[in-house]
Amino acid sequence: MVANVETLDDFLKTQVLDPWKGPKKVPAAEYFTSGHRTCQGCESAQLMKLMAKAGGPRSIILGSTGCMYVANTTYYSTPWAVPWMHTQLGSSGSAATGTVAALRAMMRKGKMKKEPINVIAVCGDGGGADMGLSAISAALQHTHYNLLILLYDNESYANTDIQVSGSSPYGANSTFSTPGKVKRIMNKRWKKNTAAMLAAGHPDVRYVSTVCTAYPVDAMNSVRRALTIGGPTFVHSLDPCPKGWDYDPKFSHELGELAVETGIWPLYEVEEGQLRMIGRSKRIVEGQFKRKPVREYLRRQGRFAHFIDEDIEYFQKKIDDMWEKWLIPGVIPFAGKLNP
Amino acid sequence: MSTGSVEVIYRGIFQKTLAKNICRGIVFAARKEGKIGIAFGRYGDSPERNGIPAKQFAVVSNTEDELQEYLSRYEPNNNDVTISCDDTLCKGVESWAWYGLQPINKLLAKNGTLLVVSTQSANKLIKIIHRKGAPYKLATVKAAASFSGLWVYKDDHTDVRLLGALAKVAPHIVSIDSILSAIKDQWKNDKKVASAKKAYDDASTSPVGAEQGSEEIPFSFDLPGWTKMEEGLVIRGQKSEQKNVAGWEGGYVPGRNETFKKFSTRTMRPAINFDTCTKCTLCWLNCPDTCFDISPDGFYDANMQACCGCGVCEAVCPVEDCITMVNEEAFEDNNSQWEMWRKDKKKYAVWLTEKISNKPARSHGFHHVGQYAEEIANES
Repeated sequence: MVANVETLDDFLKTQVLDPWKGPKKVPAAEYFTSGHRTCQGCESAQLMKLMAKAGGPRSIILGSTGCMYVANTTYYSTPWAVPWMHTQLGSSGSAATGTVAALRAMMRKGKMKKEPINVIAVCGDGGGADMGLSAISAALQHTHYNLLILLYDNESYANTDIQVSGSSPYGANSTFSTPGKVKRIMNKRWKKNTAAMLAAGHPDVRYVSTVCTAYPVDAMNSVRRALTIGGPTFVHSLDPCPKGWDYDPKFSHELGELAVETGIWPLYEVEEGQLRMIGRSKRIVEGQFKRKPVREYLRRQGRFAHFIDEDIEYFQKKIDDMWEKWLIPGVIPFAGKLNP
Repeated sequence: MSTGSVEVIYRGIFQKTLAKNICRGIVFAARKEGKIGIAFGRYGDSPERNGIPAKQFAVVSNTEDELQEYLSRYEPNNNDVTISCDDTLCKGVESWAWYGLQPINKLLAKNGTLLVVSTQSANKLIKIIHRKGAPYKLATVKAAASFSGLWVYKDDHTDVRLLGALAKVAPHIVSIDSILSAIKDQWKNDKKVASAKKAYDDASTSPVGAEQGSEEIPFSFDLPGWTKMEEGLVIRGQKSEQKNVAGWEGGYVPGRNETFKKFSTRTMRPAINFDTCTKCTLCWLNCPDTCFDISPDGFYDANMQACCGCGVCEAVCPVEDCITMVNEEAFEDNNSQWEMWRKDKKKYAVWLTEKISNKPARSHGFHHVGQYAEEIANES
């Protein structure tokens, strides 16, 4: 037995990454630099940049198949300045646990310096919320491993030209849910509630949060919290996608804000079993900010261009339910009373 | 001439449907003449990304055997006609796939025709097109570049106008009669047929000499052969240390990927007024392409090798007229704006005012439901 209790404690240590108080405190160094083949106005690339910045130089990134794999590393060309490895579509969770275990073994055997290294596995909504869910669940059960699963959610299989995913919103156009003359709404299910599901389903996980790239400092601080709290953690980001959502790329930032302000995308974190709403979403719950009508959000995206008033009303009602009828607004999707 | 090929260069996603309509139209028209044809996108461009140049081809032969023989090559490289769906592509085409920057006329055959959608004159276009070293012809279809997205198509007749003009410049591939007949079949719309006929009547070509054009040498790089590739598909990463650039000491210029620069993705670029800049950091922090260099005096300068022109910086800038997106055709180089400003602030102010006058924003796709119909109504 090489490892003793003392060294195991060493492995459980994380880096010290304090939150940044405002954009002017964010350091200049880039670990995901320019020269990636993403779309104009790609918010997932923006998320990679923020995540790499937040994690800093001693990080290893693992990427399951998706836009952030194909656009960033194909053809012998890459913008990454930290180590990155590709993993299969459904295996971001396995890659993360395997990498942490391997680092630990190498350190224990003295083959590399003992130091806390951030291990971040990145997956899209197809790779994470659909295919890789079981592997992510398994990773979140490894409570003695420090790792972060970061899900970048652009609400479709965007890399392969926009097929519907479990995270696609109700009614959105995609190559698998094209509206027709007879049936206008082809994707009838409501978006999968991945972050809350993982938080509720893995009570030992110490940090789960939702972020949006429209709030970059908050997003980076969530990543930093997730990397320092210890154990496996999960962060789910909504990234507006100009290609799949069909809008002018200059609106990338604005649509992210609108997603939060209309209440489609609640921002919250679950830390040590304690739920907190963040930013705009907190103000919505506290009644200080009135949710904007979802029409403003829907009418600006080509993927909803086939919507008629009836569809928009239905969409609005579903969001109203999220905030007015759910057991915990925007998080736990059951109606009911806690003390009947 | 038994096999003819047409290359359509377009802005990925924004003009995907447009390019598809053109290439399919050519093949349908060829069928009318008893020929056989095929339309296809270049493998290396898929999956397409917004704005990144991409290509589709239409190849037409008399017999299937000839067509098969022609298609056995990787990419048609001796095209009778190259169609450029957006005139800013004349500055060069850096495809998704690892080719470096290629001149727009690179795959055009000697004496072939380059057909460009543009509101600029042929003389002005020739200045930005790289010299070919062989004579060719240039034709324009007078129009602003037509941009839409994946789901909603802006049907402003650019597709049929290009088909009509094509029949004029390359009647040996398809005749105007078959083009008109194919358009009628496809769209069942007499207005589209009329648009094609008018474009046919209006089209004219001007000769371009072998040595005419821009002298710029497009950036390129050495490709590692298979013997130099590393085991396990290792790609060397970028350096996270800042680059040492003369005049930028004390600022921060991040290391950048030298094998993909993305500037040919751009149809607009930010013009920055450093006099009104408050150094709030938001453009820098929100740029998905990490394009902003930090100057020694704390300004944020968009690096024109890395900027792909998305316009997010303009959208997040809290100052009224600090960042303005300007039509890319107004610029001749990729020089640093901050360096220009630091050297001569008065001259820069004049330059900036002149550039901002080229604001007529290009359409960058979908803004709201009904927008394309409004735009088409305004244009006609």
